[in-house]
Amino acid sequence: MQASTRHTWLTPVLAYLAAALILAFLSHSLPRMLPGDFVTAMYGASDVTLTAEQAADLRALYQDNSGFTAFLGRVFCLDWGYSYAFQAPVAALFFDALPWTLVLMGTAHVLSSILGFVLGVEAAWRRGTRTEKAGVGLMTVLEGIPELCSGVLLLLVFALNLGWFPAAGAQTAYADHTFVQQVADRLHHLALPLTTLVLAYFPGNFLLARAGMVMVMKSPFVLTARAKGLPPLRVRYAHAARNALLPLVTRFGLRFAFMITGALVVETLFSYPGLGTLLFNAIAMRDLPLIQGIVLAASIMVLGINLALEFVYILLDPRVAHAS
Amino acid sequence: MLIAAGILFSAFSGPVWADDRDIRIADGKGDWGYPTPFRHYPRGPGYIRMSWVFDTLVWKDQKGYVPGLATHWAYDPQHLAFTFHLDPAALWHDGTPVTAHDVVFTLAYFQQHPYQWISIDAVDRAKAVDDHTVTIYLSKPYAPFLSDIGGTMPVIPKHVWEKITEPESCIDSACMVGSGPYVFKDFDKTQGTYLYEAFEHYYQGRPKKQRLIYVRTSKALMSLVTGQADLANIQPDMAGSLEKKGLTVIENERGWNKKLMINHTRPPFDDRRFRQALAYAIDPQEIIDKSHRGFGTPASYGLLSIDHEMYNPDTPDYPYNPEKARQIITDLGWTPGPDGMFHKDGQPLALELIASNLTVAGESVSDRDGEIIARQLTDIGIKVTLVNQEQTTTDSRVKKRDFDLAVSGHGGISGDPKILNEMTSSVYGGGSVNSARYDTCPELNALMDAQMTEMDPEKRKRLVFDIQAVYARELPAISLYYPVTLAGYNPDKGIKWFYTRGGISKGVPIPQNKLALIR
Repeated sequence: MQASTRHTWLTPVLAYLAAALILAFLSHSLPRMLPGDFVTAMYGASDVTLTAEQAADLRALYQDNSGFTAFLGRVFCLDWGYSYAFQAPVAALFFDALPWTLVLMGTAHVLSSILGFVLGVEAAWRRGTRTEKAGVGLMTVLEGIPELCSGVLLLLVFALNLGWFPAAGAQTAYADHTFVQQVADRLHHLALPLTTLVLAYFPGNFLLARAGMVMVMKSPFVLTARAKGLPPLRVRYAHAARNALLPLVTRFGLRFAFMITGALVVETLFSYPGLGTLLFNAIAMRDLPLIQGIVLAASIMVLGINLALEFVYILLDPRVAHAS
Repeated sequence: MLIAAGILFSAFSGPVWADDRDIRIADGKGDWGYPTPFRHYPRGPGYIRMSWVFDTLVWKDQKGYVPGLATHWAYDPQHLAFTFHLDPAALWHDGTPVTAHDVVFTLAYFQQHPYQWISIDAVDRAKAVDDHTVTIYLSKPYAPFLSDIGGTMPVIPKHVWEKITEPESCIDSACMVGSGPYVFKDFDKTQGTYLYEAFEHYYQGRPKKQRLIYVRTSKALMSLVTGQADLANIQPDMAGSLEKKGLTVIENERGWNKKLMINHTRPPFDDRRFRQALAYAIDPQEIIDKSHRGFGTPASYGLLSIDHEMYNPDTPDYPYNPEKARQIITDLGWTPGPDGMFHKDGQPLALELIASNLTVAGESVSDRDGEIIARQLTDIGIKVTLVNQEQTTTDSRVKKRDFDLAVSGHGGISGDPKILNEMTSSVYGGGSVNSARYDTCPELNALMDAQMTEMDPEKRKRLVFDIQAVYARELPAISLYYPVTLAGYNPDKGIKWFYTRGGISKGVPIPQNKLALIR
């Protein structure tokens, strides 16, 4: 019994460790394949005209010829390196940007998951009604609108024309605010990028929850629960919806894991500080240490969340453990 | 939900950015490094961030050079020496007077720790004649001295920097002690924001605004309209709507050119006549009309801006003439095939054209220039493969000379004519991706060397005229057009922003001249 339990967690953990090693290798080698280097990127549009000697000196200064093993060694020692373009430690840049992305993406995911789940379950329950049909139609259309498009529309209407929300940033720079005012100011700045993301994620969650729920509602145990005369709310959420939750949790996990790339478009559009903006600038500037750091952290995050999901599945649905 | 949130948060947070003591400047990128000579990023916006804190000996306004730390200056040709008389009222931000010894120290410090924006190779020595007079002796005549050393070199305080051995790593408040109109207060790397406060004892008078703030925004127009920013670079098509909303729009002189880089080291581009045929085949006006909705002016083929005081109006011209282009290519031995395309020895005349979004004044601008040029060249019988690549990839290929033609561009063409040398010769600009590195014309090389050492402005002007004429004949690269560069600002703030003649310092085409907040 004990051996079997160990097998249950040891095999995926080992597999994930191997995957982490491969990802570390990719995060080291892929950015190096980008054409161009930091000196070209930084000085290409500069007002400084370099002589050939100056350019050669700078290239020598910003060249990192260390191999993969040296890189791996540094990663294990939690040495993320030093950003060429931002002249700061990569770890400091990463952890300064992370909270902003977490606030934006985390809130967007949680909000869109809860909304999608509840409305999806309710829609499935009301299957065949006009409201359900209209809801599914609307969500299918919304699902097809990219974040860039909805973001620009929101900016045009609510920032440019109505002037209700600021067009850029995460807070008013250097305003003499009280604590309450500061919180309100940050929420004020958060509203448009957050709405853009919720509009992008919520329809998918809705459609997924609805489809899962429709399948579950056909199961005999739902009929039994109804036949027993249980209150409809309990049948819906305690019996049926819990079983329709699994694909939604997978989606939540994967979306959350792809937080950095997911944030890239919206953060750039709204000039919101975060990992997406940081990665965008790092690639544009061919800042190898910074790209490596962000790509590796993002990859590890994907792996970590996937690993965590393996265990969450078992908690949510014991059949998964038996299946393995 | 969104409406309720908007009203609620606006009520709580209030229109704080409307504070009249502040001036807010929008920037698309945000982070341009710490405002010290060694920590600002090597592009125009980085230099501007530093220029609020550190003053130079001379400065520029709309018309040309004006006093900076030096109230007046003179050149002594006999001794190859410039003498600057410093303003006795000038103080460092810590209250210490600015003296001639600081200038002498600055030059010595930059000799030991080079500052990329200036070249002090021509400086022999500097001597403090008295506390407020400094003489800088040159080892050889150096015509761009006033632009390079006088108008670009930030003077640093001796009493602070003599203790600093690693200037690249210094971000202490000590390294931010300057003599400029604003004192550096904060820089938030993540938010891309800067805060400066007025220096009460500034020698040219107290600045008009107490606080100067930079905010990051990728939507300059919206930030201007919503009042989040008081000054921003704008696209030409935004001008009308901004003016209707009561904002003031200003236009820069033509100091930035879109340019077609030519790989003149490989055939057929190594033949001057073929490059001239390309010039006849390309119609810059069509590019301006179709790709930029008419916002631009065809460029001089001599590289220097037509607004430059040393612009040669007799520079050879290549008015759009596809027939003439075809004739030249035919004379070079190519024959048109049945498909209308040129062939030689059974091979078609084919080339690759690289296009990319370019960065102008720190902002990336997209256009369709590549498509139009490709079509114009196809029209005369050249088979063109158009490749759209990201700018650094293009720059990297141009640098390695792994290309045929590439659409590129750069500024500085209304600043010191040294730009002609830098953008032409590998001796002066070998490390630049925008330099044609065209060294095979002895006549051009001799003229370029001569203009660098000619201290008589009139004689230098004649040399610069000749360089433009030869450059336009040789066409190491083809200048296409000058895009319209605009900025918008809120006049209610009481600041009249302006573009600087020849660009700030070495030619930075940004209207953030500190004099706007002083005079």
